[in-house]
Amino acid sequence: MKFIENKRSREAEAWLKKEIAEQKRRYRKIVDEQEALSPKRDKWIADFLQRIQTRGVHTHYDQMRKVRPEEIPVKPKRKFKVVF
Amino acid sequence: MARPHIEPFVDRDVPFKKMTLPGFPKGMQYKMLSLDTDNGASSMTVLFEPGYKQPPGMSYTEYELFIMSGSVTIGEKVWGPGSYIFVPAGVALEPLSSPRGATGLIFYNYGEPSFVESDSDHPQAERDRFAAVNAYDNLHWTSTNFFPATAPGCMVKILRFDPRTHGFTFMYCMTPNFWQDNISYHDCCEEAYHIWGTSWMMQFGDLPTGGYFWRPPYINHGAFASKLGILAIGRTDTQLYNHFHFNPWTNIEENQERAASRMLHRNPEMYKWVNTHGHNHPIDFEFDHGHSHGDRPHHHGDGMVEHKHKKKRRRR
Repeated sequence: MKFIENKRSREAEAWLKKEIAEQKRRYRKIVDEQEALSPKRDKWIADFLQRIQTRGVHTHYDQMRKVRPEEIPVKPKRKFKVVF
Repeated sequence: MARPHIEPFVDRDVPFKKMTLPGFPKGMQYKMLSLDTDNGASSMTVLFEPGYKQPPGMSYTEYELFIMSGSVTIGEKVWGPGSYIFVPAGVALEPLSSPRGATGLIFYNYGEPSFVESDSDHPQAERDRFAAVNAYDNLHWTSTNFFPATAPGCMVKILRFDPRTHGFTFMYCMTPNFWQDNISYHDCCEEAYHIWGTSWMMQFGDLPTGGYFWRPPYINHGAFASKLGILAIGRTDTQLYNHFHFNPWTNIEENQERAASRMLHRNPEMYKWVNTHGHNHPIDFEFDHGHSHGDRPHHHGDGMVEHKHKKKRRRR
């Protein structure tokens, strides 16, 4: 039994409402912070795409393979986001 | 799934709040990490003030408690750092106290936090599922057993495993200078909290001590690195399968599509059956069929998994 049906109290409803509102604010803050990280992230991605051609990409545990230049993905034109 | 993508969040940036929900004794404080907006399920950092005393009692939802610092006494037994306690819904926990205070993590899995004073179990409680262990003292680090596997240097201690969903709660660590150069996503929700140390992910940057994430399925994360190592606790709601790749720009839909394509190649017969079986309500002979409660995901050939059955009127 993971959950036992019960009637949620008025206090619990009010508590939830408040927490949900706070979570919405927290989420928006995270989105903004991650948006501001974009220039650094672009550099990290460029470094990663370089490394997987020289040192390799992990495929399983310690197994790695070097990625060929023609396999390197091209950044799509659509907006790039990391928080969904 | 009704929790938003919370990643990254560092609880050190916010103060503790007093727990004011009915039933809870004074002296418990919390920081909300994430919350299910539908059912109220909550993941929280928790602080038991010195002298905290809680009478015997139960929760309407199952919950998991992990002690990070200090100790709590449950009944006669003292549980210090590394202690993990899983309490099924309705199971009455013995009196809990914390003479010198404690901090921990608490996960209310299927409803908002609740506490009802009681020295006996609810009639629906499944006491045999209760579990308690000190993970620091009594469990060994092992390599991850998810295939394909994470890079060497990431190790786990399994705290709890759900035999039906394959969801699990685990401690994990990364050794100093850990690195893994690929991008991963999973079919499950994943949640983690850094007890100590900083790790880096290519999408989100550094996650320090007190860092937390709740990540819905199919969201890219990685490459990974940690200079000095980390100690963390993680959870999933279903099986964790590492879908590795190296395209930083794929989105959720593309990752889902790829996961389905991989299932077609990995489990072709299962894929065919799921797509063609008319009623699509697979029955597990080991568990409750679920039809009578309408609580098992299924569809009626229309792909609408999230639906509810109307209650049938009983004839007298």
